[in-house]
Amino acid sequence: MRSLLDYEVYYRLPIKEWVPTQLQVRQYAEASGDFNPIHLDENYAQQAGLGGVIAHGMLTMAQVAAMLTDWIGHEGTISELAVRFENVVRPGDTIKFYGYVKARMENCLILDLEAFNDKMARVLSGLATISVNP
Amino acid sequence: MIGKELIGLESESIQLQIEPELGRRFAEAIGIPFGDQLPPTLVCTLKHAGFPGIQLPLPGMIHGEQKITYHRQLRIGETLTYKRCIKDVYDRVGKLGNMTFIVLETTGYDKVGELVFSSSTTLIAPAKGEAE
Repeated sequence: MRSLLDYEVYYRLPIKEWVPTQLQVRQYAEASGDFNPIHLDENYAQQAGLGGVIAHGMLTMAQVAAMLTDWIGHEGTISELAVRFENVVRPGDTIKFYGYVKARMENCLILDLEAFNDKMARVLSGLATISVNP
Repeated sequence: MIGKELIGLESESIQLQIEPELGRRFAEAIGIPFGDQLPPTLVCTLKHAGFPGIQLPLPGMIHGEQKITYHRQLRIGETLTYKRCIKDVYDRVGKLGNMTFIVLETTGYDKVGELVFSSSTTLIAPAKGEAE
């Protein structure tokens, strides 16, 4: 079986596609306890200058984490995940997540992460450190 | 009002048991199957550790950045002690005009006092869209 440490620098992870729905945003509000009205109340979000409700940043980050854990399997763990939310994500958007191996060390990998919406605006950028199990 | 005087403010400590049901519901909400591992970002739910006298995030605030450092994997069923601290508050001009940035640090310790995770959250309060 291929070990995580066999992946070369510049290896690209399988692309993940995700389309959030308003129902999912509501479910996430309940599961996370984050009931900020910018995610749930269309009028409030309009008045706040956001042009309508937006998905939780943490819901988008959860998709990034899922993409990583799918790829890692049981061969390692995420030891650090850092993201910046660069543009809003709205229910109905098609979001594509990209990752590539940026650096490889003795027992860890550094991955570069990005996500774009269907208008090709970058909604997220980030960096992950994966510890590879000995 | 949010200002520099909040820097250093600490939340109370809150104990949270990571019950399987919590993990299962979280996994369902984010749309992934729940197996033998907890979703990594589960540690960042808001079901813990409020600050005395101030609600954070306030309605209308947006999430700018998030970093999570895992010192070890989270175990299903374990109890974590959460604590939060306001690390920084600063103003900057951004896309939505004048904005206030608030940086929070959250730490989670296990029963024997070992650090399981730490995280840093940057919240942005647009000057205009600030809470009623």
